[in-house]
Amino acid sequence: MHLVDIHHVSRSFGSVRALRDVNLTLSSGTIGLVGNNGAGKSTLIKVLLGLLKPDSGSGTILGCDILRSSSELRGRVGYMPEAAAMVPMLKGVEFVAFAGDLYGMPHRDARRRAHEVLNYVGLGELRYRRLEEYSAGNLQRLNLAAALVHDPHLLLLDEPTNGLDPAGRIAMLQLLEDLIAETGKSVILCTHLLGDVERICQQIVVLNQGTVVRAGTMDEMRSQVSNRYELTWSGPCEPYRAALAAAGATFADLHDHGQSKVMVSILDGFSTARFFELAHQSQAVLTELRPDEENLERLFFRVTEEAATATAT
Amino acid sequence: MDIDQARYHGWQGRLQSPWTSCIAIVRVALVQVLRNKAYWLLLALGALRFVAFWSIIYAVTQLALPEDVGEGLLKRFGFSANSDATQDNGYITFIDGQNVIVMILLAFCGSLLVGGDFRTKTLPFYLSRRIDKRHYIVGKLLAVSAIVSLLTVVPALLLFLEYGMFASSTSYWIDNWRIPVSVLAFGAVICIVNSILLVTISAYLQRIVPITITWATMFLLLGRLSAYVARETQVEYWRLLDPWRDMRLVGRLTFGTFRNDTEHELAWWSLGILTTLCAMSLAALVHRVRAVDVVE
Repeated sequence: MHLVDIHHVSRSFGSVRALRDVNLTLSSGTIGLVGNNGAGKSTLIKVLLGLLKPDSGSGTILGCDILRSSSELRGRVGYMPEAAAMVPMLKGVEFVAFAGDLYGMPHRDARRRAHEVLNYVGLGELRYRRLEEYSAGNLQRLNLAAALVHDPHLLLLDEPTNGLDPAGRIAMLQLLEDLIAETGKSVILCTHLLGDVERICQQIVVLNQGTVVRAGTMDEMRSQVSNRYELTWSGPCEPYRAALAAAGATFADLHDHGQSKVMVSILDGFSTARFFELAHQSQAVLTELRPDEENLERLFFRVTEEAATATAT
Repeated sequence: MDIDQARYHGWQGRLQSPWTSCIAIVRVALVQVLRNKAYWLLLALGALRFVAFWSIIYAVTQLALPEDVGEGLLKRFGFSANSDATQDNGYITFIDGQNVIVMILLAFCGSLLVGGDFRTKTLPFYLSRRIDKRHYIVGKLLAVSAIVSLLTVVPALLLFLEYGMFASSTSYWIDNWRIPVSVLAFGAVICIVNSILLVTISAYLQRIVPITITWATMFLLLGRLSAYVARETQVEYWRLLDPWRDMRLVGRLTFGTFRNDTEHELAWWSLGILTTLCAMSLAALVHRVRAVDVVE
């Protein structure tokens, strides 16, 4: 059974198309949902939770239909909203127990479980404080505890490190890493902080303008760039660039590396020895030839730019 | 197993119906109100009025007061020692008086109980659990109703119990069985109208000052205005614009006691107006909960 399996999901708000024909099949694990602001991440999360009905399309999460079984679905999913929830006058343990009550747990179980998860997220000492007295970082932990209280199969975390200082962010990421390692729970992490995804997630979904532009494991993503090389040479610049272009190489650099250092994509069957031949013919001396080791940030910029180019053409 | 052991433990229980979550919403709302010391003054005022009525009934039934003194005391508080059509007015008087305190309390509670959920984006916290907007709305309406009932219906029923308990036999309870039924019906009207209006106003206005101003306008200014217009035009129907008076008239309808025929005639109109008002408010509330805080 797939963790997420949705087909042709679209959702608009007035004239704004937040999601456009989204098809997504994800297996269990930790998944990063990344995209720029307004890419449709939060809308997709809400569709996955059954909070928003898509205008068209269908799908299942953990085997539950997103159109018909939203209550059952939310019983199996823990959601941590972007804005930390605040119920004034409640103490931490009461807040988490209240979340359990809202999931439909028997109150006694919810109360007991609230103590357990608060200890787990490191708020055991603070559990009898009122919510108004919690720091931003601790409020995020509290909301994570509220998402965990009913022991869900899947955690949907919407910007969990949003608004945290660097120390708080690192602590939250460490907590999530420990949680994933210890429980093996599936996590969908929705964020625009690529470092968070790179650190935690095994799979990644890149959204751009309501469309899934890439989805797969991190390794798969990186393997897609095996035909990219970073070249550095000395000698005349333009002849070598022209020779490379004539040989079918495309300049795929996203950043300005200067005139004698470029990133090129080559066609299948293009031997790396050709780089040296072309350099020799252009009277350039190739000083460095390095396969591209693309980090997530560059991957993200590349795929969003490719998507934008494809849309424009 | 030691719960302080900071390791993750699973949970194997079964989830109940989402409707049971409404009870949790009511419980949390009561905790929120009772923990706010500023509201204690109003709760104490309500308790004081209850004690005053309790004492009068006790004094008249248990102390050897001269008959005319006892009768005077009862009449002063709206009761009558003689069994006639106005005998149950004491309960109306009590609930009416308590309703003033309830109105003030609700004006200040709206932001805490409902407005804050919208203002601080806490609504997704509720709706992302197993409950949906139906459970949320019903839970909040029940929460406000619980606060209203604690100050009106529950003490009124206690007074009825006390009156019968201190009477020489159980005949008071048997002969006046309509009173608790009427108290419950009047209480239901107050709870339904107040809760729907308060939750709707709070969902839209969110902050304490606009909620209080709107609440006061609706229940005080509108009352004064409608009374003025009715007096100037000599048309009593203008008084129907006063929702508080409408609630009172419907309350009298449940007790079956009216001060005059005009009130009796207007009571049914009042019921119609309140029903319409509540239906419109409920529709606006359903729209509000769906449209704003889930879809951002």
